[in-house]
Amino acid sequence: MTMRTNTLRSLRNLLAAAAIGLAAVGAQAQPAPGQSAPAFALTAIDGKPVNLSDFRGRYVVLEWNNPHCPFVVKHYGSGNMQSLQKRFTADNVAWLTINSTNSNHGEYMAPAALGKWMQEQGASPTAVMLDADGKVGRAYGARTTPHMYVIDPKGALVYAGAIDDKRSANAADVKTAQNYVVQALTELKAGKPVSAASTTAYGCSIKY
Amino acid sequence: MSSPALPLCAWFADRARHVVSSGFVSLALAVGAIALSAAAAQAQSVKVDHAEAELVSATAAIVPGQPLPAGLRIKHDPHWHTYWQVPGDSGLPTTIKWTLPPGWTAGPIEWPVPQRFPVGPLMNFGYDGEVLLPVTLTPPTGLAVGDSVAISARADWLICADVCIPGGADLKLTLPVSASAGTSKHAALFAATRQQIPQKVTLDGASATLEDTRIRLAFAPRSSPAEVVFFPLQEARVEPAAAQVLRAEDGKAALYLTAAQPVAPDFKALAGVLVVDGGPARADRGGWAGVIEVPLMAGTVASVGGSAATAVTYADGAQSVSVGLLGALIGAFIGGLILNLMPCVFPVLSLKLLSLLQHQRANDAAQVRHASLARHGWAFAAGVVLSFVLLAGLLVALRAGGAQLGWGFQLQTPWVVAALSTLFFVIGLNLLGAFEFSFGGGLASSHLANRLQSERVTGSFWTGVLAVIVAAPCTAPFMGAALGFAATQPAPVALGVFAVLGLGMATPYLLLTLFPALLARLPRPGAWMERFKQIMAFPMFATVVWLLWVLAQQVDANSIGLALAALVLVGMAAWALGLSQRGARGFRWVALGTAGLAMYAVLAATGTDASAAPESRAGGKSVTQGWTAWSKAENERLVAAGTPVFVDFTAAWCVTCQANKQLVLNKAAVNRAFEAKGVTRMRADWTNRDEEITRELARFKRNGVPLYVLYDSKGQVRVLPELLTEGAVLEALRAL
Repeated sequence: MTMRTNTLRSLRNLLAAAAIGLAAVGAQAQPAPGQSAPAFALTAIDGKPVNLSDFRGRYVVLEWNNPHCPFVVKHYGSGNMQSLQKRFTADNVAWLTINSTNSNHGEYMAPAALGKWMQEQGASPTAVMLDADGKVGRAYGARTTPHMYVIDPKGALVYAGAIDDKRSANAADVKTAQNYVVQALTELKAGKPVSAASTTAYGCSIKY
Repeated sequence: MSSPALPLCAWFADRARHVVSSGFVSLALAVGAIALSAAAAQAQSVKVDHAEAELVSATAAIVPGQPLPAGLRIKHDPHWHTYWQVPGDSGLPTTIKWTLPPGWTAGPIEWPVPQRFPVGPLMNFGYDGEVLLPVTLTPPTGLAVGDSVAISARADWLICADVCIPGGADLKLTLPVSASAGTSKHAALFAATRQQIPQKVTLDGASATLEDTRIRLAFAPRSSPAEVVFFPLQEARVEPAAAQVLRAEDGKAALYLTAAQPVAPDFKALAGVLVVDGGPARADRGGWAGVIEVPLMAGTVASVGGSAATAVTYADGAQSVSVGLLGALIGAFIGGLILNLMPCVFPVLSLKLLSLLQHQRANDAAQVRHASLARHGWAFAAGVVLSFVLLAGLLVALRAGGAQLGWGFQLQTPWVVAALSTLFFVIGLNLLGAFEFSFGGGLASSHLANRLQSERVTGSFWTGVLAVIVAAPCTAPFMGAALGFAATQPAPVALGVFAVLGLGMATPYLLLTLFPALLARLPRPGAWMERFKQIMAFPMFATVVWLLWVLAQQVDANSIGLALAALVLVGMAAWALGLSQRGARGFRWVALGTAGLAMYAVLAATGTDASAAPESRAGGKSVTQGWTAWSKAENERLVAAGTPVFVDFTAAWCVTCQANKQLVLNKAAVNRAFEAKGVTRMRADWTNRDEEITRELARFKRNGVPLYVLYDSKGQVRVLPELLTEGAVLEALRAL
């Protein structure tokens, strides 16, 4: 290829790249493990502001939930999620529960209602937030409920994906499943790299 | 007892004997039948939460030594679906756990070609309606004819509409062993499903390249495909919801996919089901599907237009066209060119032409040629482009401010319509000769000529601005998607698209000024110019009629009367001004007085727009027979109830909409087709500002009207083109 066609080609590619760059507004550019976790600022259901940067220096677990989803009910009904929350918040891990259901959707729960449900379940996350316009969910590429993310104290994403490896809505599967969140945090605390940094999340789709 | 009774008794006894013996026969037959049916195929369908599940077989009996074509049949409630082996962004595939008699083996599920189910920005793959998941069961040797075999299975699935319910059933199928297989009542379903099961294919000249997160799958097709869809057979390799762009490149078909992040290091082959031209369901169209596995190589993959959110925007799957930036710019330019021909622009175009000719005359007299002509051309272009950019800037600022405004908002406020109607009336009167804007012919002094020229440059600028004000609401086909695209883009992009639109509109005039040779081809000035100028008054008056018709949709009869009275006053003002220009200075005051009264009348005419508008919209003005007024709640209710709905987003000031209405939507054949299919027709009238409609338009990535949306009984959406044809509408209805 001649210099001219090369230049033209690169110019075309540059333009095309600019085009796709600009057109990528709708693209789900979710962060991959190893990249820095997108910052966000949400309001907890008690009205207090919650920023991801508030938890710099601690491990952070993000849990996407929706009380109407049978897969979420699997983990709450069996007490699994609550025990994880208790165990890790006692260990100075910030556990943030986020609900990205669109406010126009039938499964939307107002802050008070969501708070009541969490209380009834005996859940004890560090904070529960509503992301009704779906901005944070989309920034993380969250697709299902539950969808779990683990962020290290420096703000890098270290795990993204399913809560465990038994993809079902059957509560009995919780006991025999390998929990990826527990695995990731245990490995990190022991100074080892995360063996399963990215898995396919399962659950109901998030109702953006 | 009398002797005649004896034969009667005998007759009765005889009858009774018949009855008893035939009764016995019937009983025996009945018992036999029951016994036979007990030995015959026995299966019950189980109804669980929106699904009816059943174990079925294609044959009525098992033949020793031959595999049994069995399967799981699921009948979904409308709007509910279950999942394919790779469910997509969420969901769980249906599973079957067999409990078979000893020696029997079960094959895997032979998955038919799935469908795509968009859910917001996510995508799932699965089935709705009635689906059969075939499984081949292999019997052991040594089955005896006359035996009966009971096959059990536990089927588990996840069934979703907008909520998800895990479901499952314990199913049983009992079949006799016989020498001949026979056919069951499900044989037709099996035959139809067989066609839908994709087989392994090797594509000619296939190659798959990966760069970053871009995948390019290329192959040499037998005939150029119109539509290719790829369903990945691997989880977390290809983004389910990302746009799949099909291109024809060097005689090959190239499909551009997006890889899921993070890109797995062992992603070495692209495996999936390729569905071409609608798949086997559309075999009449040449559709087919196949399982492909193409080795994936690293290489260069161009970025193609089409943002990842193309497939869906919201819950009930509205498909919208997303345009890459370059495509939008080109579309905007062409749209701008076409705007020159729109009836709302053409009168102003004629105005432009007149001023061009006048300018040529002035230059002829003053011996100044090309330089200033070109400057006028650029001034006009500048006026047009800057007006578009300003409007875009306003849109961006208002969008940032949260206002739900769309393009064409100028003609949604009645006072703007009324003011424009008086303006065009005035221009028409000027063209007829009632009064003069400029100093007309005979330019003796160069001082006058200079003044005229300097006046003219800014005059050209303002002519450009005027042209834009009126052109804006005429959404031409090319403009629709470009506008919708620009409205969702960051400010610089939106401004750029609008600027190019303006450039397209200004280009013809600009070309005429840049190449005055073309102007020289125009005939020499003469009496015909005066006639031409006068004739141009009539398109102006026609525009006044159109604007008043728009105004009539927005305000009530009294206000229209006031607007018309304003025009009368304006006429009087023009006449008085003309008189004063020709010497009778006193009439200046008459002109001023009547002009003031006219302005007052216009304001009075449009002052009640807020209260009048909702009435005129919902009441009956914009609703013709067979059509109901659109509301989001009603739309959703009808769709949820499974009724097909056709929504016509229109506005009185939108010329394309009116043309479509007259030429297509009001035609008897089209209306008959609507009625035959039981389609509810709804009209969303956007003549006055309406937030609900603006939001609905934005859902389809549009910023203006017209927009035609057809919902089928399953709630799936189809957007029809902006320029309707009878054929297109009838075809869309036929496909329902």
